[in-house]
Amino acid sequence: MVQSRADGATVQAWIELRTDDPEALSALGVVRSRLDAGRSLAGLRRLRLFELHGRLPARAEIEALLHRSTWFYNPHKERCTLRASSREGSPVAIGEQAVLVVERGGERCPSAERWWLHETGQAIEVRTGLAWLLRFEPGGEAAARAAELAVVTGRAHGLLCNPNAQDHALAAAGHLPLPWIGSEPGRRPGGARKRGTT
Amino acid sequence: MKPRVAVVQFPGVNCEAETARALERVGLEAEIFRWMRPESEFARFDAYVLPGGFSYQDRVRGGALAAKHPLVERLAERAAKGAPVLGICNGAQVLVEAGLVPGGGAVELALARNRMPGRAGYYARWVRVRIAPSRCLFTSTLEAGTVLPLPVAHGEGRFTARAAGRVAELAAAGQAPLRYTGAGDEASPAFPDNPNGSEEAVAGMCNAEGNVLALMPHPERAQDLGALSRAASGPWADRRDARLEVALQAGAGRAAAGDDDGPGLAIFAGLARHLAGRGRA
Repeated sequence: MVQSRADGATVQAWIELRTDDPEALSALGVVRSRLDAGRSLAGLRRLRLFELHGRLPARAEIEALLHRSTWFYNPHKERCTLRASSREGSPVAIGEQAVLVVERGGERCPSAERWWLHETGQAIEVRTGLAWLLRFEPGGEAAARAAELAVVTGRAHGLLCNPNAQDHALAAAGHLPLPWIGSEPGRRPGGARKRGTT
Repeated sequence: MKPRVAVVQFPGVNCEAETARALERVGLEAEIFRWMRPESEFARFDAYVLPGGFSYQDRVRGGALAAKHPLVERLAERAAKGAPVLGICNGAQVLVEAGLVPGGGAVELALARNRMPGRAGYYARWVRVRIAPSRCLFTSTLEAGTVLPLPVAHGEGRFTARAAGRVAELAAAGQAPLRYTGAGDEASPAFPDNPNGSEEAVAGMCNAEGNVLALMPHPERAQDLGALSRAASGPWADRRDARLEVALQAGAGRAAAGDDDGPGLAIFAGLARHLAGRGRA
């Protein structure tokens, strides 16, 4: 079932490489070797997240459209997991901390929206962000360590989000908001609420 | 003995050779310093240039991973002692992600994704930059108001800050020595004169001391007069056309005019003049 709101439904599409992700491996290596807060980081995954909002067709048709389009993912090397309700599971595994990074003012995908309109006749909103999934070794406060690694503040602190141009939000497995990518940071669950705070 | 400049190459950087050549043309000794060399050898240089390219394949963000490399920590130490540091394009991204520009160690700026009306992604063209009054040593041979034609080629080159007005504040303090400009004197040129939507039309930002410059255009690609865009106008284009005419009249052909000094060498000449006039940092 696609979760509905008064102004339409929202569906999340989580896109992950089928093979090892070089970008996540590089980031993991740098974080573990050069950032104090990263020494206990045991694993790091990177997923692209799309949120489709508007009058959406049935789940099977959404899956088919995303599979067919070249604007969302490449099914030959990536897999797509749909999440249409906050009660559904997500690719975030138990024990993982999720850090969502969104380009401030650049989260909309006009090309994908145009493609969707052309294919379905329906105008929808498509937003995108990057989700980093962090798994720490046992012991210590995982959420706090994820928060420290999320935002770059100096050479030895943070990596995943440059707060001068990007917004971020944190969530743990089982508490993943839907929608997560709001139209503005103040509406983003778990996100930076005020200028100057992250 | 010529001053020695390290052209710092991280994996994925691809403009090291032409950058070294530009440094040599202004009388400096350039040496490509790759990321796997011992850190202990790093301090032996008088100045440092981080060339353009795609360090670590732009993974996470342009310059983000290289900014965490131990060599950048050594670079920060050398910069704090006054050693000149120039970051070009991807090198500029490294300096910003490392907090070396605008300085102080905190990451106060981003070189964010280009904002261009009706298009997105990587963008390459020749632009015009105007020299603003500053303490920047790299523009020290140029009078304020001078306009240089230089090429840009990037997808993430928009100077911006989380703190509203911070970029304007830095520009007012003389830390934006190069600003994009149009054909006239407009302070806020529109796309494509400002090719990425950079705040305050900043093309290059330096630290308060003026010895570290993050520059998005590529001066090393404008070291030859013959490389100048055919669409260029102004004194540099006039010089190119005049040189070409002389060459053609002499029967030397177009190529003879091509290797004359181009506008980009002025940035490296500023470094050479600084190093010639000062003791080692």
